[in-house]
Amino acid sequence: MSASQGGRSRFRQAVAILFQQRSSAIGTSITLIFVLAALFGPVVAPYGLNQQLTSATFQPPSLAHWFGTDQLGRDVFSRVLLGARDILAFAGVGTLLAIILGATIGLFSGYTGGVVDEIIMRAFDGLLALPAMLLALLLLASLASSDLSVIIVLVVVYTPIVARVVRSVVLSVKELAYVRAARLQGEGLGWILYRAILPATYPALAVEGALRFSYAIFLIASLGFLGIGFQPPSDNWGMMVSDARQLTSAAPWALYFPAAAIAVVVVGVNLLADGLKRIAQTPPDPRS
Amino acid sequence: MTTEARSARAGLRAIPGLVLSLAAVVAAACATGSSSATSPAEPEKVVRIGIQPIAQTDPALISSDSEVLIANQVYDYLIDIDESNRLAARLATDWSVSPDGLEYTFDLAQGVTFHDGSAFTARDVVWTFDRLRDPASGYPTADLYSGITDIRAVDDHQVTFTLLKTNPFFLFDLADNHALVLKADTAFPDRGFNGTGPYRVVEYVPPDRIVMEANTDYFAGAPQLDGLEITFFADTSSAVEALQGGQLDFIMGLSTPQYDSLTQADGVQTQIVDTNGFVAVRLRTDRSPGNDPRVIQALNLATDRQSLFEVVRRGYGSVGASSPIGPVYTDYFDPSASPPPRDPQAARALLEEAGYKEVLKLDMYMLNTGDYPDLGAALKAQWAEAGIDVSLQLVPEGVYYGEGKWLDVDLGITGWAHRPYPQFYLDVMLVCGAKWNESHFCDPEFDRLAGLAGSTSDLQTRASAYRQIQQILVDRGPLIVPYFFAQFGATSERVQGLKLKPFPGRTDFRNVSLAP
Repeated sequence: MSASQGGRSRFRQAVAILFQQRSSAIGTSITLIFVLAALFGPVVAPYGLNQQLTSATFQPPSLAHWFGTDQLGRDVFSRVLLGARDILAFAGVGTLLAIILGATIGLFSGYTGGVVDEIIMRAFDGLLALPAMLLALLLLASLASSDLSVIIVLVVVYTPIVARVVRSVVLSVKELAYVRAARLQGEGLGWILYRAILPATYPALAVEGALRFSYAIFLIASLGFLGIGFQPPSDNWGMMVSDARQLTSAAPWALYFPAAAIAVVVVGVNLLADGLKRIAQTPPDPRS
Repeated sequence: MTTEARSARAGLRAIPGLVLSLAAVVAAACATGSSSATSPAEPEKVVRIGIQPIAQTDPALISSDSEVLIANQVYDYLIDIDESNRLAARLATDWSVSPDGLEYTFDLAQGVTFHDGSAFTARDVVWTFDRLRDPASGYPTADLYSGITDIRAVDDHQVTFTLLKTNPFFLFDLADNHALVLKADTAFPDRGFNGTGPYRVVEYVPPDRIVMEANTDYFAGAPQLDGLEITFFADTSSAVEALQGGQLDFIMGLSTPQYDSLTQADGVQTQIVDTNGFVAVRLRTDRSPGNDPRVIQALNLATDRQSLFEVVRRGYGSVGASSPIGPVYTDYFDPSASPPPRDPQAARALLEEAGYKEVLKLDMYMLNTGDYPDLGAALKAQWAEAGIDVSLQLVPEGVYYGEGKWLDVDLGITGWAHRPYPQFYLDVMLVCGAKWNESHFCDPEFDRLAGLAGSTSDLQTRASAYRQIQQILVDRGPLIVPYFFAQFGATSERVQGLKLKPFPGRTDFRNVSLAP
């Protein structure tokens, strides 16, 4: 059987595992729906992000405005839909970069060991000693308020966590026979790290990636809620919740829909992470 | 055994005794309850107030509504300002002005005592105002009172202020928020709370609460309440919840949505008062792009003030124009000095003429609290139709004011609090070289008229100068004033006689009572 056929078969097996259990099937579906919203939101949103219908402020949900309108007469459904793209893109890019950087550092640190490993791990201990939100606030206070700053924050906050997970896998793998054999064959450091050891970390990285992704969504929404790192009129769901906090009696829908979007997508991604964990723990189908 | 362990043991041993004592108290209460038909126990008439935490207690340094509200209960002003912006007697019962307008003589109330029992005399007034006007003190009032050349106690109950030049607003200046009379030679004005005011401080537990009891010896008659219980709430939303939950009797500084929601709440009475507080969208005029008059004209043409007023302030307060002189100043406000109606196409044409063929990009700075984010978003949408692309820069108060950003940036939105007369705004924010002239506006004709209005004692001349000033600001001024805002407060149903003032911290509790 060719490698590509094996890959396709493994993919089919993974999809089957995801949809085998109700929880991960729901999680996967939710995540897919939000990804579709992120991709096609700007095309299907009936109104613009800051488009104000001044004669239609505080409108309750209706056929014209599915999620109602806010205090400036903006369509809440459009704003929530448009918000999916930014929050998923920020969280996705930030998590991906943290995974790449964390995996590289974790591989190098774990494999090299000794003083280098000590220095890197103690430095990461220092970063991890601070709660993620506090670290994010400290970083954003010293960076200009921009999209890049938010990505940098996600990378700095999550790289140490990913590096630790990868390092722990490396420590258990690096003394296995096939790695020792690669060393004896005189393979270079890069080949050993990325071709011999890295594949062993994929299951852990997949689970860690999904978890970090959901935490990143939550962190971005929290920063938006605090008004840090984002400037209005932003499509950040957290900022929408913050803006609508005072409207709980006049326009509760302006608060509930973006808050529900945050909750649903975070729960969805977490359920998906559970499914990914099961995939990682399932050995490949021997028939493939 | 350690001291802690011993005391813990002692505490445990005391429990049965405490239980017995408690039972005795409950039994006594039951006994009292059974005889209550003959001698009812009068509940304490205490108004519970929820306000923002305070940082200053020295009257010379107070600034926020909360700080002023507390000081206003403990100390007295020489002259007060009522809810309609009129002067009202307080420690000064009467006053007269010399024919040349330079000497003001005040008769002081008699039989007034400080909370420590000592008598209030003219010497306390002299000491208080000498302290406030001392240029070396760095107090915010040093500038305000720089026109006073001498303060003299004629006798124990009469004091005279002498001015360098006439100041038609001098009595209003004496009613400034900081001008609370302290005991002469008070060593630590931030502690002790030794005033003559209607309430005396019983307990101050920063940052939680301050408890006051009525000053039964108050010279103008004892307050109708037994006391005030002030709790500090960092978040006004929590105070709103507490009021609705029956744990508070008075809150202030509400946002428009909070006020709106309370108007429909059960058991709550809302309070609203028009003020001259406003937000000014201002463009720096001393450098590009604001040094081209067509740019501010275009911003004016792109702005729909009525819509901003209705959407952002929900119609509470009044629509603004281009000047800080609002409708509250009935003698001075000129409704005919209004900017041209909105015309985004004309605005775009003006900008093209000024060289902005595609789009004019601007960063607009403002605070990240209150109505500013909504106002910024609404303006952004309006101006976009005229080809003006605004990037909102919302910053914390410490950055906007603390780091002097508001005096530096090209485009900003600054809030200005209510003042009982308009001259202050002209002198500090629009006269050439004024210390808070954030738009760097400089116009000789404007300066001449502002100088005239600030020195003449003739009301007609002053009113005429103010009307011309409003027209100058429409024609070539640096400001867009979207609205003048109202102040909101709310009380529980049992509070009676409370009148919210335009500066809510000056709200008076001397005549407030509780429904039985």
